[in-house]
Amino acid sequence: MATMINLTIDGKRVKAPEGMNLVDAAELNGLHIPNLCYLKGTRGIGACRLCLVDIKGMKAPMLGCTTKVKEDMEVDTKSEKVVEIRKFVIDLILSMHPLDCMTCTKAGICSLQQYAYDLGLKESSFTRKKFGFAIDEANPFIKRDPDYCVLCGRCVRVCKNQGTNVLEFMGRGVGSKVVTADDKPLQESGCTFCGSCVDVCPVNALLEADRWRKGREWEYDRVGSVCTLCGNACDIVVSSMDGQLTKIDSGAEEGSVERYTCAYGRFGFDCVGADNRVTSPMKRVGNELKETSWQDALSIVAAELKKAGKDAGFITTAGILNEDALTLKKFASEIVKTKNLDSTASLYGDAATLISGGVDIGPADLIILVDLAPSQWKRVLPAIDAVIRRKVNSGAKLITVNSSETEISSVAAVNLGGNEADALKVLAKAIINKGITGNKKLEAAVADVAVSEEAEKAAAFVAEAKEVVILTSPAMYNASANLSLLKGTAVSVPLESNAKGVILMGVTTSGKTYREMVSEGMGLLYAIGEVPVKQRPKTGFLVVQNSHMTELAKQADLVLPSAAIHESEGTVLDYLGRMKCACMAIEPAGEAVSHRDIFSHIAEAMGVKMKEVKDSEVSKLAKAGVKVVFNPFVRKEGLDVNAGELIEQMNTSVINGSRLLWLKEACVKTV
Amino acid sequence: MSETETKELKVEDIKADVEASFKCPVRKSLNYISGFLSGPMCGKCFPCSMGTYEARVRLQRLVDGNGSEADLATLKRIASEMLEASMCKKGKDTAKFILDWMGTDVFMEHINGRCPEAECPVFMLYDIIPGKCTMCDLCREACKHNAILGEKRKPYQSNYQPFEIRQKRCDKCGECIRRARLSEYSFFILMNFN
Repeated sequence: MATMINLTIDGKRVKAPEGMNLVDAAELNGLHIPNLCYLKGTRGIGACRLCLVDIKGMKAPMLGCTTKVKEDMEVDTKSEKVVEIRKFVIDLILSMHPLDCMTCTKAGICSLQQYAYDLGLKESSFTRKKFGFAIDEANPFIKRDPDYCVLCGRCVRVCKNQGTNVLEFMGRGVGSKVVTADDKPLQESGCTFCGSCVDVCPVNALLEADRWRKGREWEYDRVGSVCTLCGNACDIVVSSMDGQLTKIDSGAEEGSVERYTCAYGRFGFDCVGADNRVTSPMKRVGNELKETSWQDALSIVAAELKKAGKDAGFITTAGILNEDALTLKKFASEIVKTKNLDSTASLYGDAATLISGGVDIGPADLIILVDLAPSQWKRVLPAIDAVIRRKVNSGAKLITVNSSETEISSVAAVNLGGNEADALKVLAKAIINKGITGNKKLEAAVADVAVSEEAEKAAAFVAEAKEVVILTSPAMYNASANLSLLKGTAVSVPLESNAKGVILMGVTTSGKTYREMVSEGMGLLYAIGEVPVKQRPKTGFLVVQNSHMTELAKQADLVLPSAAIHESEGTVLDYLGRMKCACMAIEPAGEAVSHRDIFSHIAEAMGVKMKEVKDSEVSKLAKAGVKVVFNPFVRKEGLDVNAGELIEQMNTSVINGSRLLWLKEACVKTV
Repeated sequence: MSETETKELKVEDIKADVEASFKCPVRKSLNYISGFLSGPMCGKCFPCSMGTYEARVRLQRLVDGNGSEADLATLKRIASEMLEASMCKKGKDTAKFILDWMGTDVFMEHINGRCPEAECPVFMLYDIIPGKCTMCDLCREACKHNAILGEKRKPYQSNYQPFEIRQKRCDKCGECIRRARLSEYSFFILMNFN
């Protein structure tokens, strides 16, 4: 815990941790120091001069965004002098800003509007300046209107900081403009459409492209939630209006390195209203799938399940919520009484390799990335890529252990190539040579390993670091965890949002595995979610329970409509072992209901009443005690998948059902 | 050092430059600000980058004879706020220079339609005093805008057209006076009308 400093802001005695700047300190205590250019989480640049405050004992006003709190500091944020400066700056900005708050989409959360209101500025006293810049709206995601830009540079810095580096200033002073390289439209500039810039823009210069006259901030209902589309499980804030999703923002705390959402998470929500959405149960009649009632569908599936009994198999994606997973587990083992229950998590991991310790990545100053190739451009665990690049830009070090070249390795301090298991062995030996010991078995295992120069360098970083976080693929988890016996915490990164939760809820097979069920076939196969299977497996009866009509669903005998993303409530256990809540932002479309409700309805149709799972049950199961022990340095076999392909396959209906399809159709090259 | 390599201009250099070229403080201010904007202005902080841009607009108005007291007040405000809020010395110095130049009554004079130093063209009228004109024709040759009418005097001829300046065409570039001075005759006057 940082030492707390006592100071006075506007006559109020407040406390703030040592090293914090005045803008953050004020925010922490419910006060606000105006600012436009300050980007929380990065160093203040002092461009807008709005955060100037008077400090007792100082002759000139000081910058709130760069001045650190000091014991007994007396800060006046509203002195005549600084208010005069603020008026001057806002007045100047207003002279080049369109004054169309009545139709502006950002009205309500626009900082400029707020400050003009606070200072009582109706219009600018300066000469009106108009530049008539071209609007970039050639893509369906982000609209750039430079006429509204106040040149705060937040977008430029947020983009640089996360390593995408698309935006830059052209010119200087009045008349300058935020542009891409050669002023090309975004889709030709290597933009990944993550929308981080939209999140930080204080005005209407950067905006989600589809929001014109679709309601404004004060009309929205906002709920904090979690994105379930990939293994990162990013925090998001979902806004909706009149039962329609309107936009999604990053939800992680402001200033946190994890404040990121990729294009899938931010713009994929359109898929809830896609053409291929399943809104009522469907059964096979001859060669066709025909709509039917829930009652009919339930009685069919109940009868079929009874008939199949032990020969029934359940396969699910690991993107379903904990409550759904636990209900499924109970349903399969207690009511259908089958052992064949497995998730897609088994494709790339298992209980021993996925369940790892919890850790906070915020304070980490050294990250060791083992056998992972996160990429914002290829959209493989993009948030990890962004987090690591941000951490590296703020001084943390990265060591990659990967046999092949990865995109992220360009920002790494040390890249250890070659066979990962061997590289880890050498690294462990090098760390032990630095005098960091802790495990006899480990020391014995690497006793006669020769240390390479690169490993030596890496070990020096490990020795220096305070907080080490080891992120690893499940296949390499056991080998990587050996390092955590010496220093740091090892975390296994799954490809699906709730892989850890699904496994802890007990969705692991004691009969046939996922792969076996798909390839060998079952008497009855029950697929939940968008499982990456295109061809109907050999099976007597196929039930698909999903929100969209997938390739597999088209070949099913019965399709049950489930709630799509943002339509059901529950919890997710993310890769860092944190429990996150997914919230219901809108009602499920048509007759769709959540996965768990479908299971209990079927149970009822089979004559058994299922109790609703309790939160306490879920949280008890989710607390996995992990004890790291020494394991041989080997790669676990059979867990190799193409991460990019798998993630894309499991999000096919999200991509094809939303504007994300444009990325594919327009062949936007982000690499 | 090669000639193409230009050193970055310092604010003091620009100031010295305008001090040497002009006597009128309004002209000095305008040229200084223009030089500042195209040179050392870095654009990093808002008061300086946006303030000087606005100042140039206002100074241009004064020089063009469209100035008002509001422009004067605005200029004062810009300079004093810049002095307080600019990030670096360049901006603060700029503010000081402007405030310095504004210290005289000359700015007010411009609002009233006079440039005491006779340097702001809009307040000047170029004309030929017929009695002093020697009809050497040098001024007509020098005028790029074809604003001067007249015929060169030839000995023993009469009925030639007298020299005069078509005010509509004259853009007060001063080229005619410079040429006239070269030819040791002095036959023009320029005046601050009003």
